[in-house]
Amino acid sequence: MARIRTILVDDHADFRRLAQVLLSELDSIELIALGENGEDAIRLCEQHRPELLLCDIAMPRMGGIEATRLIKAQEQPPVVALVSIYGDEEHRQHARSAGAEHFINKVDFLPAVADLAQELTETPHA
Amino acid sequence: MPESRILVLDQDEERAREIAAILHFLDFSPCVYSELAAVEADNLEPRDLLAVVLGKQGLGGSHDVSRWLTRDPQHAPLLLMPEYGDDTLGLDPADVWHLAYPVQQLQLTEILRRISIRHLNAAGEAQGPLLGPSGDSAAVRRVRHMIRQVAGYDTSVLITGESGTGKEVVARAIHAQSSRRALPFVAVNCGAIPAELLESELFGHEKGAFTGAISTRQGRFELAEGGTLFLDEIGDMSLPMQVKLLRVLQERSFERVGSNQTRHCDVRIVAATHRDLEERIGEGKFREDLYYRLNVFPIETPALRERPADLPLLLEDFSVALERRGRGRVRLADEAVSTLQAYSWPGNVRELSNLIERLAVLHPNEPITLDMLPERYREASPAPLGEAAAQAQGLPAEGLDLRAHIQAIECDLIAQALDATDGVVAHAAELLKLRRTTLVEKLRKYRMTRPPGQSTGAAGGASAVAS
Repeated sequence: MARIRTILVDDHADFRRLAQVLLSELDSIELIALGENGEDAIRLCEQHRPELLLCDIAMPRMGGIEATRLIKAQEQPPVVALVSIYGDEEHRQHARSAGAEHFINKVDFLPAVADLAQELTETPHA
Repeated sequence: MPESRILVLDQDEERAREIAAILHFLDFSPCVYSELAAVEADNLEPRDLLAVVLGKQGLGGSHDVSRWLTRDPQHAPLLLMPEYGDDTLGLDPADVWHLAYPVQQLQLTEILRRISIRHLNAAGEAQGPLLGPSGDSAAVRRVRHMIRQVAGYDTSVLITGESGTGKEVVARAIHAQSSRRALPFVAVNCGAIPAELLESELFGHEKGAFTGAISTRQGRFELAEGGTLFLDEIGDMSLPMQVKLLRVLQERSFERVGSNQTRHCDVRIVAATHRDLEERIGEGKFREDLYYRLNVFPIETPALRERPADLPLLLEDFSVALERRGRGRVRLADEAVSTLQAYSWPGNVRELSNLIERLAVLHPNEPITLDMLPERYREASPAPLGEAAAQAQGLPAEGLDLRAHIQAIECDLIAQALDATDGVVAHAAELLKLRRTTLVEKLRKYRMTRPPGQSTGAAGGASAVAS
């Protein structure tokens, strides 16, 4: 089964470590790179052309929403899932209008990514 | 622009550490200092911050902080510890929040959530020129002219145009040129706020008016008092809300949610939508009476594809703005620019600005050549105007009238140039890299009469507008 090449970006080192461990439990996800901020997200996506980007919204200097807007201007952009501790409609709207296809609440991280991985392997993604 | 750094300024170290821990847990990046001098020594600026939590300071310290913050007109909001009571330290109350201590998790989370949203809303704003959208094309000059016309009056303005064409830039320019310029400009995205929250967002609420209304809050109408209120995406407003808005426009008064007290308001309304409101009226989704109230002075923002000649100027504006933000200079090679001029820009100016910002991150300080552009921008053939018609054509066996053939090509290209510049000969000449007088000669030669109402130069006609 082809694994989903994934990049994770979050400014908190402890969350990156935790997420790595959690994601290693998912067979369908192949974590290929980690980043710390919005600019990393842009450069890493350009360099690796992943299928999926998991990106924190709240990061210093350039956050996930701004980064998503710019990444979606790239050729063959990845599916973007923005990660936030907020699940309210306004944040979701901002995420959507930046072009993110999915919105993940940090509280629910692993199950949400598992569902997303399932969805991506089942439906052919552009 | 940063989205997560929060300054915790408090001489009570234990409290500061506790708050920082909570902020970290809430996914923010707290910076803890006990006094302002240390903050300044580390070169942390108000504009680098999402918010400032202010606790105990020495004598006069809190006022120093207030002064430091207000150096930046768009400064981060202030979260005050209980010892400050109701004091707002001279700041606009809309930018000040009062925190409970011991920390009430729910209160803090909610406040930070609102600050985050406000910040996201603000980050989307372009720091456009106060004259309105940039460019030299007839279409955009017309928009600037209309802004100048309407700014001095209090009439409502309805701005229509595709997404990303700078409707907010137009709204801000109207405000900046009006007599209300010293008072607030408040923007509300009616499409982004859920219908059930829009009323309290616009009119404010009393404490306890509904679940989650933990304190009294001023609405956007109150915050815009004396100034301009920009209602973006008004086409997305629910019908019940439209009724309420209509009443405010007619009677210049409203009540906060959960209150009986009628408040008067003096606010100039500018609305915008990318939707076809007349169509929505036909579908029963928009009220005709509200439409006529808002549409007193309509302004239409042109799509970017209608004004390719403006691209170089826009690129320059964005490049300068990026440099000011410390993101480096972006220079595009000529062939890259002409390729972009042929692209259809469904996302208009916003799409252009995103592309430039990306290029700035990926290729800092190097000239951008054609191959560095993403493929979809290269798909439109970038033929510069002079070569468009010069298709490789084999000489027919029977020969052809060379002079007639060349003249036909020249005539066609001149017509295209006039079309692209709305009949303004000076601009068409620029497009064709001819002197204006030369083009006028050719027009006479081909007997190309000007459409009525348009001029050959700077002196105004109906649509060619002196800027």
